[in-house]
Amino acid sequence: MPKVVSIHSYRGGTGKSNFTANLATTAAALGNRVGVVDTDVPSPGIHNLFGLEPEQMGKTLNSYLWGESSIEDAAYDVSDNVGIEGAGKLFLVPSSVKADDIARILKDGYDVRLMNDGFRSLVKALQLDYLFIDTHPGLSKETFLSIAISHVLLLILRPDKQDYQGTAVVMDVARQLNVRKMLLVINKAHSKLNPDALKQKVEETYAETVAGLFPLSEDIVQLASEGVFCVKYPDHPVSQEFRKVAQQIAEV
Amino acid sequence: MSNIGDLQSLASSIAAVTSPFRNYLHDLYEKYRSLNEGTVADYIPELALAKPEWFGICIVTPEGQVFEVGDCDRLFTIQSISKAFVFGLALEDHGREYVNSKVSVEPTGEAFNSIVLDEATNRPYNPMVNAGAIATADLINGQNSTERLKRLLEMFKRYTGREHDINVPVFLSEKATGYRNRAMAYLMLNFGMVSNKIDETLDLYFQQCSILVNAKDLAMMAATLANGGVNPVTHERAIDERYVQDVISVMLTCGMYDASGEWAYRVGMPAKSGVGGGILAVVPGKLGIGTFSPPLDAKGNSVRGIRVCEDLSTDFGLHLFNVAKPERNLQEWIAGGEGINDW
Repeated sequence: MPKVVSIHSYRGGTGKSNFTANLATTAAALGNRVGVVDTDVPSPGIHNLFGLEPEQMGKTLNSYLWGESSIEDAAYDVSDNVGIEGAGKLFLVPSSVKADDIARILKDGYDVRLMNDGFRSLVKALQLDYLFIDTHPGLSKETFLSIAISHVLLLILRPDKQDYQGTAVVMDVARQLNVRKMLLVINKAHSKLNPDALKQKVEETYAETVAGLFPLSEDIVQLASEGVFCVKYPDHPVSQEFRKVAQQIAEV
Repeated sequence: MSNIGDLQSLASSIAAVTSPFRNYLHDLYEKYRSLNEGTVADYIPELALAKPEWFGICIVTPEGQVFEVGDCDRLFTIQSISKAFVFGLALEDHGREYVNSKVSVEPTGEAFNSIVLDEATNRPYNPMVNAGAIATADLINGQNSTERLKRLLEMFKRYTGREHDINVPVFLSEKATGYRNRAMAYLMLNFGMVSNKIDETLDLYFQQCSILVNAKDLAMMAATLANGGVNPVTHERAIDERYVQDVISVMLTCGMYDASGEWAYRVGMPAKSGVGGGILAVVPGKLGIGTFSPPLDAKGNSVRGIRVCEDLSTDFGLHLFNVAKPERNLQEWIAGGEGINDW
């Protein structure tokens, strides 16, 4: 049975897209067929990490939501771009970066049912093992939908007060939507913090498992901007942490 | 507190979208949208304008959950589906005994527009064939044609929870070309089965057939019957609960024109179809189903609508007389749960 994984954070700047790109790539590198949908229609960005340029994008998620194409036609095979070898495949359904398109979808909205039906069509058409949904921060229609259909909801938070409060709000919503499994990921943890103590504190606060803890590091930020980190530096501790998260998702 | 209510209501609307049951309906929709059989009714030009690809499936539960796929908001004329509901209103106006003395409840096996009355009693066979529906429309109380029409429209509003309009071109076309129906009305007048306000009653009949509805309305009407006569969303009573069984049982035996016997055997859900492309099916206590797809088979029933009802009946064991454990448990699929693989 395919698994749908939503990656969400209450606030922006948590490194959500970067995290999604690395986790999806890790899953593909392990031999899985993986799809990523950028539902962050107001501020799309994950295509950059997968080396997909706006001029290469014909159809996008927007085209599908406007009834102009099937969702499969808006899926791009980016396996080669990120260097996936072997049986694994990585597909991206990007959101349009054209200002007109973003304005149109914000102004007119779209039928949220189409998003749900599109996710299912994509999983079937591309025979996916995993579908990762990169969401817009905060709470919106697409956030609610992606939380509700997910087999796993990954919530990313930074160790600060604003993220703590916001994460609690998202978890309330997720429980209301009967989310099947929630996992927390701590990102941008300062090196001065004790990782084990931090993890324990967060788990106690939210009564959910912390699936991974990623440090704040200028090196990583710099290296990450060049592409998907975990493919370039597979033996780096951060890449190992991604494999650990992927393993926990596989076990759900 | 209102925030919590809003959150719950948003969560519930999202749950209706992501429910495994809606996903199942979406798969049905995908399965049958490419089915290109049947022909769109064209006995009046207005009906021939319908596009064969229009297709919607809507299901409403007695708890008021609404599951929609495809063209569920597109309006079309209710046509013969109105007959079951006008029969219900006639029962409320006059009681069972009197209505039965004017219209029998026997399936005919003949086409819907056949000119045939029960030889012994001169009654039309049932309220679902045109002759019976005209005799039923004759029974609707009201001081004048306006009031009678208003009562019909108010009744449909109680079932669907919204105002309804009449498609005037369809009404005028039906009226201008309805010689056969006019002939039947006069035949019944000859036998004293209808009152002599023939023109007014025929107008009412043509108007009731020209009421505009969508697939969601049909599902809501069916769910109202499934829920004992109370609209599951507005909680308004649409029909006296004593007469719900009358309406549903006649739908089971006569609702699908001269395919009713096979329908009762194969699908086992009381249903009523219309040449506009609608089918309304009731699963008492469980579901109201509304489908819309204009291409009709040779007997006048929507081809895609039939297939959708057949699959629902088989997959969830919704045949009225089914006692075997179905492949899928309806409640589990509606509620969603760990064990259901709808991917």
